[in-house]
Amino acid sequence: MAKIGVFVCHCGENIASKVDTGNLVKALSDHPGVEICNEYKYFCSDPGQETVKRAIRENNLTGVVVAACSPRMHETTFRKACAEAGLNPYMLELANIREQCSWVHSDKDQATEKAIEITRSLVEKVKRNNELKPISVPVTRRALVIGGGIAGIQAALDIAGAGREVILVEREPSIGGHMSQLSETFPTLDCSQCILTPRMVEAIQHPNIKVLTYSEVEEVDGYIGNFKVKVRKKARYVDIDKCTGCGDCIQKCPVKKIPSEFECGLGNRTAIYTPFAQAVPNKPVIDKNRCTYFKNGKCKICQKTCQIENCIDFEMQDTYEEYEVGAIVVATGFQIQDTSVYGEYGYGKYKDVITGLSFERLASASGPTAGKILRPSDGKEPETVVFIQCAGSRDPSKGVKYCSKICCMYTAKHAMLYAHKHHGSNSKIFYMDIRAAGKGYDEFTRRAIEEDEAEYLRGRVSKVFEENGKLIVRGVDTLLGKPVEVAADMVVLATAIVPQPDAKEFAKRIGIGYDEYGFYNEAHLKLRPVETATAGIYLCGACQSPKDIPDSVAQASAAAAKVLGLFSREQLEREPVVAAVGESTCAGCWGCVYACPYNAIEQKEIRDRNGNLIKEVASVNPGLCQGCGTCVTFCRSNSIDLAGFTEKQIFAEVMAL
Amino acid sequence: MGIQEQYRSEAAALLSSGEVKLVIGFGAGSTADRRRPLFARTPEEAEKFVLDAACIANLSTYLVAEGLLSDGKKVGVFLKPDGIRSVNILISEAQLKPEQVVILGYAIENGKDVVPLEGCNISDFSIGEKIRSHTPPTHVIEAAEKIEAMSAEERFEFWKEEFAKCIKCYACRQVCPMCYCRRCIVDVNQPQWVSTSSHTLGNFEWNLVRAFHLAGRCAACGACDRACPVNIPLRLVNYRMGKEVRSAFDYVAGENSDQKPVLASFKQDDPETFIL
Repeated sequence: MAKIGVFVCHCGENIASKVDTGNLVKALSDHPGVEICNEYKYFCSDPGQETVKRAIRENNLTGVVVAACSPRMHETTFRKACAEAGLNPYMLELANIREQCSWVHSDKDQATEKAIEITRSLVEKVKRNNELKPISVPVTRRALVIGGGIAGIQAALDIAGAGREVILVEREPSIGGHMSQLSETFPTLDCSQCILTPRMVEAIQHPNIKVLTYSEVEEVDGYIGNFKVKVRKKARYVDIDKCTGCGDCIQKCPVKKIPSEFECGLGNRTAIYTPFAQAVPNKPVIDKNRCTYFKNGKCKICQKTCQIENCIDFEMQDTYEEYEVGAIVVATGFQIQDTSVYGEYGYGKYKDVITGLSFERLASASGPTAGKILRPSDGKEPETVVFIQCAGSRDPSKGVKYCSKICCMYTAKHAMLYAHKHHGSNSKIFYMDIRAAGKGYDEFTRRAIEEDEAEYLRGRVSKVFEENGKLIVRGVDTLLGKPVEVAADMVVLATAIVPQPDAKEFAKRIGIGYDEYGFYNEAHLKLRPVETATAGIYLCGACQSPKDIPDSVAQASAAAAKVLGLFSREQLEREPVVAAVGESTCAGCWGCVYACPYNAIEQKEIRDRNGNLIKEVASVNPGLCQGCGTCVTFCRSNSIDLAGFTEKQIFAEVMAL
Repeated sequence: MGIQEQYRSEAAALLSSGEVKLVIGFGAGSTADRRRPLFARTPEEAEKFVLDAACIANLSTYLVAEGLLSDGKKVGVFLKPDGIRSVNILISEAQLKPEQVVILGYAIENGKDVVPLEGCNISDFSIGEKIRSHTPPTHVIEAAEKIEAMSAEERFEFWKEEFAKCIKCYACRQVCPMCYCRRCIVDVNQPQWVSTSSHTLGNFEWNLVRAFHLAGRCAACGACDRACPVNIPLRLVNYRMGKEVRSAFDYVAGENSDQKPVLASFKQDDPETFIL
């Protein structure tokens, strides 16, 4: 005989302001099988949970329904309370009368009626719940870090430093990411290379880190603690184990005028190249699309120059490697927006209209101008530079509603670097707001204004055009309420940060969520910022949202802490909400095998006692099953059932409405 | 020698050599224009086979009879292109092993001439292109277009009236080669998802379940339509579902035997029109 306890939570005013909880309690008290029905302001609080526990003990309850918030919010809380009171935690159901009722309705009577129906249907379900036991699975204590920028490097170093193995996968030929392209970094103006390159070297030399550059993650299978990943090592045409990095091949390569991606097109590279001098590993790669041999079948000068036998191999193919890992950190970073959407700013049309990232290369000691700020068009030092902030960001008409977060700071930095490198500099910055929240940030922008004489003009720029060899920047100074025109020698656009172009496709491949732009979704913006909704996959850096270096590094260490927390256990307890196949009725069509997103369904032979094959049926591996129910909905003969959400439970739930 | 005699002797040869244990074909029916299935296990029985323009049933449905193929022996079967298409689907759903089916293929041209189809193994019949370009009979298209032109309310009324005739005899299920489940969902009574009685709701439930279970799996043989004792135009439902699947996934069921079931498999570029 069912003895169900129903506990109606007010959630402060969240529920009580729209649902008449007194009526709800009255309605449920009379429902068959309900032994006790209470209401309280906050059942999730300590006294609230105590009430539930006491009721279980005193009334020998066989099931509990808490009418409160979403199971995502507090199912764990109340399951734990049930377990502490001696009731199997899977004899609990949460009736969601907050998100699915009080928050979305305005009419109190109707909301109350709906809350009664929701709660009643969960009472009918819980009567049919079965006691379930958690499943134990082993944890592979090795992590995969995807992306070798500063975030990925930091996460890898932290995990490796705690004694766990890490596979660090980077798709470019070198690790380092965007940070390696920067000149100095705000707010301390220390050189980016000086602080980054030692970390790159540390990563590649670390005994616990396996760095796979020029490689991409192709497939991710499995689940928390037990992922299987397939990595494609792209053909580099240079054997990095043999190569000494002498650079002779690069010197001799006849194709020299390829715009360097690393230098934002401001410098050139060869067809066999290392992206930059401090690359890690400092071993070249052949750009197949530009190499004379691959285009015409003749050349191979690099191979002839190389003194090591079989080091350069034109026959090299992509290879695939598989790794078993327990956790995945996604640190795939960002790109800058294609500035051609701003036709009015003349990017692409005028050589001296450049992006902030190009300016970094001009200012960098290792850049194409050896750190001198020179105009790309004629190599002269610009006398007046106009910086345009929010060239993309906070502009819904161009598709980016959000603030890119770093541009206010790097624009101030650019003005400073320009002033330091060029005396008598004249920089004018068009801005919407100066957003300088962060340790030492506001002081930094003040310094740009007060010491380095950056002139801030509050307003937007409508047009940039050329006149008499000058770039005329036409805008408005909203503080003066007047239109302004500035004759500039160079214009720097603070371009928006956007997700990687393949961010959405990659998210689908590894099974994590993303927002409308393609930034990856965290499990909870405030309380679980480095976890994804997929257990065992964590986020750090600008793939989640635009971020500066301090934030990226902090988040990387946070993700590493989460991974290490997971790795502190040898066994992982998993929800017993898994599917099971009714073998007597399974027709063996294998539709469920195809449909299962987790490859959790296998084929199983049924034999008689003499070993004769009777038939083949589907069989669920409970270690792999995530309880999504896709197979249940697919099965035409209705032969699969999901523990915790059995057909009988769902049917009773629906029929109670 | 006519095709009937030729296939009689081929069937007899298959049986006498022991290559197949059974040949499924057609025998004389209860009236001059009807044929009924004939199961020949000896060369002598094979002499009773009839093959003419009245042999329109899709005999592949008998191949999935429980236990028929579990001994690993081969079975011969007379099949038109739609039956071959059914066999392709059944192979892709692991209900048949291609090596167990010996096909005596034929086609009916202009509704009267019976011509042989070359080959005997399923791999001999490359019907992919043919079924992609095949257009259903004019009366089917016309009837379907008429229904498609209706408003949603009119259409609902139309099907309500048609399904009201349904007596839940499940002849459509019995005759369909794709309905091979050992236990049909309508026979599940714990819980009873589909109501068994022949009222409007129960009839809608059954016919809609049937439509969805055949989406992307129907060979368009029309057997359900012919079997229905109350003349519900069932093939129009399947026709429409096939059209939907083709436009959404560029998938035509039974083109070959290597297809993955369209509604159970996923591709990166699958349309996501259902996500708002």
